[in-house]
Amino acid sequence: MNAIFEEIKEAIIDGDEELAVELAEKVVAEKIDPVQAVQLGFIKGIEEVGKSWTNGEAFLPDVMMAADAMKAGMDVLEGVLAAGEGEGSYEDKGKIVLGTVEGDIHDIGKNIVGALLTAAGFKVYDIGIDQKAEDFVAKADEVGAKILAASSLLTTTMKSQKVLVEYLSDQNIRDNYKVIIGGGPTSKKWGDEIGADGWAETADEAVELCKQLLN
Amino acid sequence: MMLPKFDILTIEQVDKIHKNSMKILNEIGVEFSYDPVIEIFKKHGQRVEGHRVYFDPEFVENMVEKAPSQFTLHARNPEHNLVCGGENIIYMPGYGAPFVYEADGLKRDATMDDYNNFVKLAGASKNMHMTGGTVVEPTDVEDEIRHLEMAYSHIINSDKCFMGSSSGYEHAKDSIEMTALLHGGMDVIKEKPALICLINSVTPLKYDDRMLGGLMAYAETGQAMVIASLVMSGSTGPATMAGALSLQNAEVLAGITLAQCINPGTPVVYGSTSAVTDMSTGSLSIGNPENALFTSASAQFARFYGVPCRGGGGLTDSKTVDAQAGYESMMVLFAASTTGVNFVMHTAGILQYYMAMSYEKFMVDDEIAGMILRYLKGFDCDSDEKMAFDVIEKVGPGGHFLTQKHTRKNFKLEFFRPALSDRQSFDGWSKDSLDTNQRAKLKWQEVLASYVPPALDPEVNEKILTYIEERSKELLKK
Repeated sequence: MNAIFEEIKEAIIDGDEELAVELAEKVVAEKIDPVQAVQLGFIKGIEEVGKSWTNGEAFLPDVMMAADAMKAGMDVLEGVLAAGEGEGSYEDKGKIVLGTVEGDIHDIGKNIVGALLTAAGFKVYDIGIDQKAEDFVAKADEVGAKILAASSLLTTTMKSQKVLVEYLSDQNIRDNYKVIIGGGPTSKKWGDEIGADGWAETADEAVELCKQLLN
Repeated sequence: MMLPKFDILTIEQVDKIHKNSMKILNEIGVEFSYDPVIEIFKKHGQRVEGHRVYFDPEFVENMVEKAPSQFTLHARNPEHNLVCGGENIIYMPGYGAPFVYEADGLKRDATMDDYNNFVKLAGASKNMHMTGGTVVEPTDVEDEIRHLEMAYSHIINSDKCFMGSSSGYEHAKDSIEMTALLHGGMDVIKEKPALICLINSVTPLKYDDRMLGGLMAYAETGQAMVIASLVMSGSTGPATMAGALSLQNAEVLAGITLAQCINPGTPVVYGSTSAVTDMSTGSLSIGNPENALFTSASAQFARFYGVPCRGGGGLTDSKTVDAQAGYESMMVLFAASTTGVNFVMHTAGILQYYMAMSYEKFMVDDEIAGMILRYLKGFDCDSDEKMAFDVIEKVGPGGHFLTQKHTRKNFKLEFFRPALSDRQSFDGWSKDSLDTNQRAKLKWQEVLASYVPPALDPEVNEKILTYIEERSKELLKK
């Protein structure tokens, strides 16, 4: 096995974004098998971090920095992976579009959810804060995501989660997506009321929810 | 006489943090999303790039100096007028919780009925000086008109001071107009501020449209405002205490500077709710020594800048009224009260880092507040009677004081009398074996049942109701 895979794994565990990018660039430059780099390097690393998190040994900065390093490195490999280089193929566990709803500019909770989903093997597309329903849909269609995850921290912006579900119904595309919601003032009751496919109180529960929905 | 408040930072530490904050304001700057505010800062000669404002430290110091060191907040019953600042402390219920947690552990959405109940409990309490604001988020009232219903609840259910909406310029204006009707006109309250609101920064280093609109409405009419920053150390701010405090301080100073630019001398309160991030869940954690330290340091910084301070409260991360709820709440409220915080939002009712209000917790915190208010009075050594030499002489060696007139008179003046704590013998207690949570439930039901709101002049009431009706029509049409 190429020693670089172990280095990539360690870079992810350390949450070293710069090193992850550097190693990914080396993979491309030296024409090392990118699928193996993903499977034996990036995924092995993030799995390790995910395990430590579940055991209560890792804390948020560990997981979030590892997820950032993973994303940065994978972005470098995107081109060669898309070109079909390497032996076999690489499959993520599912694609998720994640964002904070229109009118709301809070993003920390969302970022935590994104990191934990990444650590659990999902491919997360974070579209950022203050995002309209159509922005969620546009991104999902672009990348082929099935889950739209919408965050809201304020009682005044919760209604934008409802707007998202209504928008899908109005466009007759409701069945194409699973909508999940979360954020401080939200509740299971609110999720049921607006017709969301799921609600989670914590980031860990959001991971479980996505696993169930994509099964 | 009140107990002297103590400092927790040395002069050198204050100086270092102050300079660090000024460097943040000057070199990193603060983002204000609201265009009218950007114009104000440009007019005052501050460097502006897009929506980011880079402050001149001397300008900030000069503007902060214009803020009054204390001010009087006027109630409809003048007996409840409050001086905010100096040695004074003002307690009120929790603010902004969307949920109510019941005694048996049930979690539910807060309603307008809950809102009225908490205002009444605060009205009835001798330890709550104000009825607060947004005592819960009444989720059964439409968003557009919620601020009108909430303000009316404070007006009709009590004659104590209260807080108004800061949710955008328009809603803020409505609260101010209603308060003007209550006090006999806008001119009256411009002269004698009667409303105060909460303006929050979005940490790190931002203020949003909604809050800036609210800030402008209050500053323009000379009403008071708390300008507060909640740094979640470790997530929205650095994980070091000194770094987080520097960041908070920069944000609050930027807000105070803005208020003073709009209306020099407008009453402001230096606010802090900074605490830490729980690194296993990412959630805010408020029932801890770090929060107590941030609170006490904020009180000291407010003294340093010559403005009143808001901070602390009966703060806990517990989900139910248990020992954790009690010890955490006591720690933060005690720290706030003994180190010089003047304005304590969230004194009573909060569970789970501001997420929920609880009636039982309200009663527990009310008890804690009563204990601390007594503690703050300290020792009275001002008269011979208080020194009690005569009665000690009279009883002499080996006697007892229980049958002395001096005792009968003075224990009532000097001892804190618990409303909730159980001091019975084991046998006495074990007849019902009620724990604090269960006793608190009985207590709030009793208080609510016997509470009679102070009468409001029917003519004034009519004017306010008409205002609400007309505004509701307009707002719901949009």
